Amino acid sequence: MQDTAIASATKWRQTPFFFALAGAVLALSGLAGTAVGAEAPADGRIGYVLTDRHWAIFETEDGAAECPQGFNLGPREQYSKQFPVEDGVERTVVETRLLREGRQWHPTIVEEDLFPFYAAQGNKSVGLDLDGVADDNDFQSEDGETSGIDNQLYRVIGCIAHYRAGGIIRHFENKFAQQYNDNRWLVELSQVDDLANDDDVVVSIYRGMDDLLTDASGEAFIAGATQRVDARWGRQYMALTTGKIVDGTLVTEPIDTIKIPWSSTFDTSGYQVFRGLRLQLDLDTESAEGMLAGYTDVEAFNHQLNTTWSTHHQSYGQLSSLSQYHALRNFADGYPDPETGVNTAISSAIKVKMTRVAVMHPEVSYQAIAARAESRK
Amino acid sequence: MRRRINRINQVPALGLVATVMLMNVSATAVAQDGLASQLFWQPESGAVWENYFEEPMPPGFQVVSTELDGPLFADSEGRTLYKWPQRDLRNGGTGDRKDGGKSNCTDTVLRTSAGLMSPYPPGLILPDLDRRPSCTDAWPPVLAAADAEPVGKWDLIEREDGSLQWSHDGFPLYRSALDQEQGDVLGGLILEIRGDAPVVRVPVGPRSAIPPGFQVVQTTTGRLLIDDDGDSLYVWDGDEPNQSNCYDECAVTWVPAQAPATASPQAGWSVIERSPGKNQWTYRGQPIYTYAPDPRARSLRGSDIEGWSNVYTQRALPPPAEFTVQDSRIGQVLADANGKTIYTYSCADDAMDQLACDHPDSPQEYRMALCGAGDPERCLQTFQYVAASEGAQSVSHLWSVMSIDPMTGRRAEQGDAAAVAVWAHRGRPVYTYGEDEMPGDANADSYGEFNGRRNGFKAFWLRDDFRNNMFSR
Repeated sequence: MQDTAIASATKWRQTPFFFALAGAVLALSGLAGTAVGAEAPADGRIGYVLTDRHWAIFETEDGAAECPQGFNLGPREQYSKQFPVEDGVERTVVETRLLREGRQWHPTIVEEDLFPFYAAQGNKSVGLDLDGVADDNDFQSEDGETSGIDNQLYRVIGCIAHYRAGGIIRHFENKFAQQYNDNRWLVELSQVDDLANDDDVVVSIYRGMDDLLTDASGEAFIAGATQRVDARWGRQYMALTTGKIVDGTLVTEPIDTIKIPWSSTFDTSGYQVFRGLRLQLDLDTESAEGMLAGYTDVEAFNHQLNTTWSTHHQSYGQLSSLSQYHALRNFADGYPDPETGVNTAISSAIKVKMTRVAVMHPEVSYQAIAARAESRK
Repeated sequence: MRRRINRINQVPALGLVATVMLMNVSATAVAQDGLASQLFWQPESGAVWENYFEEPMPPGFQVVSTELDGPLFADSEGRTLYKWPQRDLRNGGTGDRKDGGKSNCTDTVLRTSAGLMSPYPPGLILPDLDRRPSCTDAWPPVLAAADAEPVGKWDLIEREDGSLQWSHDGFPLYRSALDQEQGDVLGGLILEIRGDAPVVRVPVGPRSAIPPGFQVVQTTTGRLLIDDDGDSLYVWDGDEPNQSNCYDECAVTWVPAQAPATASPQAGWSVIERSPGKNQWTYRGQPIYTYAPDPRARSLRGSDIEGWSNVYTQRALPPPAEFTVQDSRIGQVLADANGKTIYTYSCADDAMDQLACDHPDSPQEYRMALCGAGDPERCLQTFQYVAASEGAQSVSHLWSVMSIDPMTGRRAEQGDAAAVAVWAHRGRPVYTYGEDEMPGDANADSYGEFNGRRNGFKAFWLRDDFRNNMFSR
């Protein structure tokens, strides 16, 4: 199925008619409606660009229900407890700052954290059932209609202020995803016969290259812009899967391993690594909204945090990466290391919003995907 | 800039064609003696250096052309001159104030941290105190004779001990104790300072000889010419000396750098008439253009188009022959012979004098903490030195072979059996990262305190297509 899709897409793309049609799609984009009907998008293809992403957590307004012990301590609070001024001891840079920084970058040299960690409590959370099993560690949706939700990352980050409503990381990760084009994330559906119901569609993932198109306010994202596929520097971010659309909701097969660009404003260009990532998106002709869910690679998550947010910036939201790392290891629930049996990834979910774009391909992007798919066989 | 992006978005064919042309180049960017070398460095033979405006100087000073930072002021022995401009850090500032009339670099050996950076408090005892120099040990003031007279931008300030120190454009001048010979610029860089970088010393030089409307920006490999909007300038192989052959459609994509009617030729710069009343600048005999599809400032993308090249007033000489250029996730990086990304390490301590801790003669505790939590063995697994083969040499003054004791990170003693010969850039060893698996991986970029700016590692970026080229520190 995938090889066929690649071959047919490549052939199709070689026709001059494609270019004319691409222009026509753009020209007509302003006329498109939003309702999902029993109709195929032009040439069976529709693309979306990510405009919003947040780690999915369940939180009450004051946090008392899910964080009855309060929020976790951050670097400043931990430093004050570890090296109290009141004791009058004269300390060195090496035994304080550099000790803490060293452990932050090499968290496994200490078996456990010095400080208690407050995991999110309760059985309510947000996410998808990743393993088809509902057990005691799983969550129910807030309305109780869905059970078996796998989101152990919520246990880790649910009581860290940075990730909660109003938190700095929560706000700025989303802002930077919009602001910086190296974070541009495209999902393109092809071979779509019906955007409401289709039991077999191809889902291609790319990094885009272009600014998001906004309205005059600069806040709302406008459907119908073009996004060029970054087939040169963005090859490691490409992925391919299949899925089906049921009553307007796309559900994909899991992608074994995928990197998603996740950089910030400090000239960083980090990324997250997910195992078994699947997409569940409510589609219409203008936008898509839903969830990415899969197993976040623990080491990559910690590395992205430390290379993206300095200790100072982690302090803003009382986030101690050392404490968080140990909690990640404790709650990791997937992809055990074949030698040690230790889980290397943690179930997680990301809430996303996307806007329709015309995805502009150089042919090489299909070749790269084909090569990547081939290498996995 | 947004206007241009929108225009590209509205013309799918242009965007697609440009991208397809990019594809043709990416596959070739590997060996340093290939296309990549031509893009980033200049050959040793026939090397050209940046012109500058001469200015009156006191006796005993000169201008020296340096390989990376362009023309710089030097003393009579060729040693580079630096200034220390004040900057505010998280919890306060340090450095010299412009026109402040005094130097804040003293001969006191500081014992404790200043707490200028967050979240760590002041008053912590600094590492390696028994070897710690004073500010003036590391940065000797450029002293003047008692009868010295100000000249032009060169003035005099009085130090606390009554001696006179030269200043330039309002900033006291220093030398770096690291500089040993003419052309050394080991004390600092002109690279842009961003984020939470330390309050660094910056080499001082005369103004670049460029007409109004243009700027020179420092990159990791040269001095890039841009216009006042930040747009990169390009030249075309299809032109002839002082004659443009780019008209019609070509001139839509490649916009001639228009010269005003009042423009007059100067060193390296001329004006040609494209059509009556419409003039274009040429640089070193080549008409110059901006590239309409460039999405952002300081772009190198236009050089992907065959026959077109960015314009540099000067570029560094090539790095050691075994180094390579690799495609990475946002652009290109310098890499070793195996394709592993090269990292530089930078560090300054959190004392009022902001002394460097990133070279082998400085405290190693900062680097050891990051690369191994204080364990040298772990350090060597996390960040490996880049071994230099026996007798290896570099045509570039920026690269050298150092003999290092890997367990201490300091220079090896004569006859030390454990010594390793490693490549160094600007007198500082470079590294590869143990967790980089594939050529082009740059997983240790921004590794360290404050994204690697304060005490940490940055990938040796040659090109960045997403962030205005991150030629900063």
